[in-house]
Amino acid sequence: MFLQTTDINLIKNAWWMYLIGAAVTIFIIGGALFFAFTALRQAKKIGMRREQIRQSVISSISFSILPSIGIFIGVITMAGLLGIPLPWIRLSVIGALHYELMAVSVASGGITAATLTTQHFVTIAFAMTISIIWGGVFALFFFKKYQTKVLSKATSGEKGGFGKLLFDAVFIGMISAYLGDAFAKIFRYDVRVVEDGAYLLDDFGDYVVVDSRTFVPIIVFLSSMLAMFVFDLIIKKWHQKWLENFQLALSMIFGMTVAVLLGIGGIF
Amino acid sequence: MNNTSYNNHMHRVGRVFMAMGLSVMLIVPVLIWVISGVGPDWNKMIIAILSMSILYLPSGIIEVVTYSPFLGTGATYLAFVTGNLVNLKIPCVMNAREIAKTEIGTPENEVVATLSVAFSTITTVIILSVGILFLQLIRPFLEAEVMQPAFNWVVSALFGALGYKYFLRNPKLVIVPIVFSLVLAAIAPKFVYSNIAIVIVITAIVSVVAAKIMYDKKWLSEK
Repeated sequence: MFLQTTDINLIKNAWWMYLIGAAVTIFIIGGALFFAFTALRQAKKIGMRREQIRQSVISSISFSILPSIGIFIGVITMAGLLGIPLPWIRLSVIGALHYELMAVSVASGGITAATLTTQHFVTIAFAMTISIIWGGVFALFFFKKYQTKVLSKATSGEKGGFGKLLFDAVFIGMISAYLGDAFAKIFRYDVRVVEDGAYLLDDFGDYVVVDSRTFVPIIVFLSSMLAMFVFDLIIKKWHQKWLENFQLALSMIFGMTVAVLLGIGGIF
Repeated sequence: MNNTSYNNHMHRVGRVFMAMGLSVMLIVPVLIWVISGVGPDWNKMIIAILSMSILYLPSGIIEVVTYSPFLGTGATYLAFVTGNLVNLKIPCVMNAREIAKTEIGTPENEVVATLSVAFSTITTVIILSVGILFLQLIRPFLEAEVMQPAFNWVVSALFGALGYKYFLRNPKLVIVPIVFSLVLAAIAPKFVYSNIAIVIVITAIVSVVAAKIMYDKKWLSEK
């Protein structure tokens, strides 16, 4: 033990917690840059066009800004209970807000910022970290085998032309699932109540939920789609090719603005 | 480097990165334990890990199986350390692929996917870090009640926008999965929004089976 205190309020926002967060951030940025440089070297070797590389980078950055702000809001959501550094670390690596909130509830059900102890905090940190690593562990040991034995066979050989359609079909399935997700919320949408950065539990240990059924997500889904159509027209009719890299991000902003306007009009 | 040796190289460095990434993740709670001198509540921790892992172990494996074809080799290792797959990395890669006009499984797509995940990751960690630096300044804006709907429905905005090009390009392919997901949503709404990871897998299977039948019956024009 290096500290003179075990007071959770001093630990959860301590300077050394920020230092750990900074170290994790540097590791992630370093790793990402390493992969990017390796890919760039390969791009040169296989003679890819500079334009393709530029488009990939710009579109990925512009696309990632809004969802990343959403992820940052997750840090703020959890900060009430866990302070800033731990949610910052957790949402910089594999995990997601709903998963982290569930881990808090399962590891230390019923605690609040006032009743949180250092032992709760350490228990939550371990539970959050270990329960989500399985995809990474599987990738570490089996991804290469899966890729060479299963994937390459599924996409080559006699199936031939269907290989190309296969991935489009999987991705269309994924988008359809999110359309269904938005549509489902018209009929029913129980939202778990978050208090002090954790799901609120009732006296029986069940999650406290409120009925929040809503049309908003399906309207947002369709609005973003409509915005993409309009941007497509602008790109094609007025030859504004530069807009391609920002089309998706701008369409998302349009969809999100519609949600805000509906909210201002009292529709949530 | 030819494609096979590049792929093998990416598996090698990817595995090293993955091992390092998992170690970095695991060392965080260990450091908190060591520095504070307070260990976890072992009973609660083991129960929490077991009960969460029942859900997240199979879904972790399913995610690798489902999403690695989109990501390719390098990006799979990077994405499974940095997370936010469904709500960010996968759509980001698919968008970059659309714009760069590459085909899944090609050497060009491997490069595009790796660059896409790498720069998406950098964007996210920079936004998180800058957000924390200027927390006092931006917190009121992000927490303002009027802004809540925008970020509540960011995933719907994302998939709506992304859906446009896929739905437009493959009008015959989309009919079955859309009808299926809408009917499922109407019949079992809670199942759909509570189990989106499972629903994605089910809808993807329905979509692939429908596409295969249409392909075999030559209902789809050759691309």
